[in-house]
Amino acid sequence: MSEAESNNPTPPLVRIRGLRFRRGSRWIFDGVDLDIPRGKVTAIMGPSGTGKTTLLKLIGGQLRPDEGSIEVDGENVHALKTPELYRLRMRMGMLFQSGALLTDISVFDNVAFPLREHTRLTESMIRKLVLLKLEAVGLRGARDLMPSELSGGMARRVALARAIALDPMMIMYDEPFTGQDPISMGALVQLIRMLNDAARISSVVVSHDVAETLRIADQVYVISDGKVVESGSPAQLRESGGDWTRQFIQGLPDGPVPFHYPAAPLREDILEVSS
Amino acid sequence: MNKKTVIEIWVGVFMALGLVALFFLAMQVSNLGTAYTGKTFDVNARFDNIGGLKVKAPVTIAGVEVGRVTGIRYDAEDFRAVVVMGIQEQYLGRIPEDSFAKILTAGLLGEQYIGLDPGGSLDTLANGSEIAVTQSALVLEEVVGQFIFGKAKEGT
Amino acid sequence: MIGHLAKLGGWGLQALTRLGRAHLLLLPMMRGLLDILRRPRLLLDQVFSVGVLTILIIAVAGLFVGMVLGLQGYYILSRFGGETALGLMVAASLVRELGPVLTALLFAGRAGSALTAEIGLMKATEQLSGLEMMAVNPEHRVLAPRFFAGFLSVPLLAALFSMLGVIGGWMVGGGMLGVDQGAFWNGMQNGIDFREDVINGVIKSVVFGFVCTWIAIFQGYDCVPTSEGVSRATTRTVVHSSLAVLGLDFVLTALMFS
Repeated sequence: MSEAESNNPTPPLVRIRGLRFRRGSRWIFDGVDLDIPRGKVTAIMGPSGTGKTTLLKLIGGQLRPDEGSIEVDGENVHALKTPELYRLRMRMGMLFQSGALLTDISVFDNVAFPLREHTRLTESMIRKLVLLKLEAVGLRGARDLMPSELSGGMARRVALARAIALDPMMIMYDEPFTGQDPISMGALVQLIRMLNDAARISSVVVSHDVAETLRIADQVYVISDGKVVESGSPAQLRESGGDWTRQFIQGLPDGPVPFHYPAAPLREDILEVSS
Repeated sequence: MNKKTVIEIWVGVFMALGLVALFFLAMQVSNLGTAYTGKTFDVNARFDNIGGLKVKAPVTIAGVEVGRVTGIRYDAEDFRAVVVMGIQEQYLGRIPEDSFAKILTAGLLGEQYIGLDPGGSLDTLANGSEIAVTQSALVLEEVVGQFIFGKAKEGT
Repeated sequence: MIGHLAKLGGWGLQALTRLGRAHLLLLPMMRGLLDILRRPRLLLDQVFSVGVLTILIIAVAGLFVGMVLGLQGYYILSRFGGETALGLMVAASLVRELGPVLTALLFAGRAGSALTAEIGLMKATEQLSGLEMMAVNPEHRVLAPRFFAGFLSVPLLAALFSMLGVIGGWMVGGGMLGVDQGAFWNGMQNGIDFREDVINGVIKSVVFGFVCTWIAIFQGYDCVPTSEGVSRATTRTVVHSSLAVLGLDFVLTALMFS
């Protein structure tokens, strides 16, 4: 998008062009162009089921697009061979909706996992790093707990500590605000912002929680029916004229996305039954 | 003793148990513990009827196993069965040449085996020798037939 | 009518694609052997969870099966004076057939279903995806150790089953029913050939171990990532493993003991 590029002279971190992706007979993405700028929080929003998680998986190379290209830091993700793809993934962190911690090892071991797998650091070095990462998310004291003993919000924070273990250049957040109480939500929002600014990690947040997302994002893309419907800063979106965007942002029950599931007129249905 | 060590110990116990079981099966249950694995020399014998004799059946003298049947074939010239026996090497030159080979049955339901009755000759069996005198297996139908025939004869 | 045929055809195609996917999984799992050699701890933990924890059921089952064989065998053999063949009968039944087959069936029920549930749950809670995004290959890291653990454990468990079965038969035959000790063991040793019986039994259990573990892991990996999907996959593991074991047993027996 020219707007994003003119604001940001450095090349975008993620560049998506002409993305088309199908699952079964349904086109999840039908010609999507996106730029994710460096050093900023970019939000991708839309109603449930529009394939936002799928987009993250496409960026991470877990899924292959039917058409189009995805470039991360200048490299075409799907043209990479497996070892190179793995190297790229080490520079991307991902926070899954449920945290996706490994349930049979402790919090400490979960955060240490990427370090033990991909680096040759000594155990004492790893211990220091893990404690620092846990400290950043405020859970250093919980390091010996098992994932089953954590609340949802705490599990997500541990997963975040794990995602930043290798100091990635970007983090993708999959529905980070879903199902959180206000306090955990506030903590998470603050962490996302802090990591983005202080640690210069670019952030991609996929969510349908309008309020929190608009509070934290620098740039927003709204996706519906497989296409980008709107894009811009949160302020621009709030003043936007688009019917669809307005319904979404203000949370109106009826509008371009109808309230009623398609059906025959009410009179016909009721009279049919009684006669 | 932490959890890791406990796991290691148990896996070690498991592997040991498994190997012990395999060893038990090999030694106590199968014939590995008692099978003869040394050298043998071949001795032939011809029979009119070998009955149910099979390859690997024991060959005994005075009830003690001295070898095994290694091959059975039919000689179309002779119309008899040729049985090849592998006798243990330690008996080379120790079994008289005129020994008598019989096909016997172990117990009532048992498998058939060859029993050698030693003769008196000073010449002994060597590799490739053939035993001259043999007695074929008892075939049940023939015995019964003979019995009935005999009884019928008596009656007349 | 056409509708039913179409459904049958569709089901057939689905089964074929599943079979294909199962085979595609084999190569990455085998390649995981390298990872295991570098980090043997992975294999060790899995041998514990898959092998050691199955010892109890195998041992108890083996003992009881052997004891029943001793009892039943005695009653039948004594009818025509063949009690001395009891040792041979018990040992032959166990080493050639019951050891490998029953062990595989029990393994599928206890360890196979646990494997399927564990892997299916990891899939449903996105742990496998998480590993992929952390640049760790889940087929090497999670699936391969479990596969080799099962493959290694089943033959050992089968040997254990057979050994305890023979001992059980001996306890019942010798202790309870008065069969002569010497006849019991001698008859057995004369009749059981190491190469033909013991080794063939081991080969059978190796094949069964391969198949049961493979099925269990694949069903977990391929399942629909919901709680219902996992539970259905677990059932499929037990059913498919059992049928595969019984079918393969027939084929192997025909090949080996004809």
